[in-house]
Amino acid sequence: MHRYILKRILSALLVLLFVSLITFVVISVIPGDRAILALGIDATQESVDAVRASMGLDKPFLERYFDWLSSAIRLDLGVSDVYGEKVGALILSRLPVTFSLTLFSILIATVLSVVLGLICQIKKGKLADGLIRGSVILTSALPSFWISLVALIFFCGKLKWFPVNGYISPAKGFFPFLRSITLPSIILALGELSLLTRMFRSSLIKSFDEDYMIACRVKGLGKMRSMIHYGLRSACIAPLTLIGNQAAKLLGGTVVVETIFSLPGIGRLLLVAVEQHDIPLLQGVVLFITTMVVLMNFLTDIFVAIADPLIRQGEGSVK
Amino acid sequence: MKKRNYSLIIGIICVSIIIALFILSFIYLPYSVDQMDTKNRFASPSSSHILGTDQFGRDIFSRILVSTRSALLVSSSSVLMGALSGLILGALAALSPHIIETILMRFIDAMMAFPGILSAMVLSAILGKGVMNASIAIAFFMIPVFARLSYSMILESKKREYVKAAKSYGASMPRLVVFHMLPEMVTRLITQFSSSIGAAILTESSLSFLGLGIQPPGASLGLMLSEAKGYVLIEPYQALWPGVVLSIAVLGFSLLGDGINEYLNREVDYE
Repeated sequence: MHRYILKRILSALLVLLFVSLITFVVISVIPGDRAILALGIDATQESVDAVRASMGLDKPFLERYFDWLSSAIRLDLGVSDVYGEKVGALILSRLPVTFSLTLFSILIATVLSVVLGLICQIKKGKLADGLIRGSVILTSALPSFWISLVALIFFCGKLKWFPVNGYISPAKGFFPFLRSITLPSIILALGELSLLTRMFRSSLIKSFDEDYMIACRVKGLGKMRSMIHYGLRSACIAPLTLIGNQAAKLLGGTVVVETIFSLPGIGRLLLVAVEQHDIPLLQGVVLFITTMVVLMNFLTDIFVAIADPLIRQGEGSVK
Repeated sequence: MKKRNYSLIIGIICVSIIIALFILSFIYLPYSVDQMDTKNRFASPSSSHILGTDQFGRDIFSRILVSTRSALLVSSSSVLMGALSGLILGALAALSPHIIETILMRFIDAMMAFPGILSAMVLSAILGKGVMNASIAIAFFMIPVFARLSYSMILESKKREYVKAAKSYGASMPRLVVFHMLPEMVTRLITQFSSSIGAAILTESSLSFLGLGIQPPGASLGLMLSEAKGYVLIEPYQALWPGVVLSIAVLGFSLLGDGINEYLNREVDYE
């Protein structure tokens, strides 16, 4: 187990190193001179050179990369050109919105897919099974920005259940906050539903066919009890990995929904950075999101290794 | 009893609708995409505008036809580029010595850590906005998907008896890959290709929706929805058709991928 964790840590570190390198190299080639952008096109060559030097742009490429990386490790991501604030502070100020969106949507998607997966398992091959499978595929194929528009028309415009625009922070009351992020969370959850439900369904079917489920019934355990205590537990291991991966991907994929519902999250920050060519901000946000993805995948693997006795004892086939 | 492959049937129907719109865009385009008729803004469907007009009085049906054309062109070219680069990268990793294999695979993992829309947005900042650049941006995030696929398939193939036999006869590595491993990989590649086109269409429309893909006055389903967003509470109808076509496209290609996969697996089962 220790060996496995050590191996995973080393591999995650290597991936992080590559992630930082890709981020730095790719974003460095964005056209435009930051010094001229900061000073305006009428600036003299001397002042441009001075600003370039103060930004460290006159150093060789590798030196700039290592400078940036070592500051990033110390959680210093530089100062945003557009906002004039520290990138780290900007990300932290936007994190609660994106984090709560991700958390709520993954929670909704997980609960729904467990329930739907169970129904599919119980009604395997029957009409309900087919209907559920068909509808989750349909909901996942609908583009999130289109469903958002349709939801805006119905739930915000016609029924007035949710506010049309804007985010209400939890400091102003928990229920108004919940109301402001419920609809976008549900829309994000719909996108995840197909993959998760299919995964739960297949692993439930597989785990319910195992010998220990028959043993449970032979031992005299009730149907519900054996289903929940034994069947569901072992069936959750495979989807866990998927939930971890999807949660991490969602963190970087909320931009469209944030734009439609005017939520001030990390996605919107990313959009500003892209539109304004704010290189430090873009590097910071991209590095933050990708690091979160790598970290989530790492934690999921470790969690799965702890939950699955086969992997824990080194007999599993986790690579 | 033989189970019907609904994914394949619905997938083929949806994809046929999209291909029909694509072909129609070349042979019959009622109006030009940027032809404005300001007297006829937000017109309801009529014989002259079968799906009505938008906020500038442009014909929605013509714009949908051209949008479908660009969606298909962008997605297929980007998946093709991404698949080719990914296949080569994955094959290199699978056939290299252990240390290079590890480094390449961790590099592919690192590319995987960039969510699709994120890498497409970043690349559009570098390359600029527009159709061609959107294709390259989308191709980038297709690379690790195909790289992983070809990597795992080649590792599997390497264990096959006939590959070992060909190797013992002195077949060179490129020959082994192209003539002995590739034929086995084709079916899984087709499946992945079809699902990836659905994902690419979705990413292209998201990019255009965010204002980073196809630029006005050009037409893209994402752009049409983004324009409709401003009027969604007054003129909800405008957001309907681009969304329907987009959903049919995404659903169609992803179901087609699933359906082909199911069909081929069943064939294998019968054998």
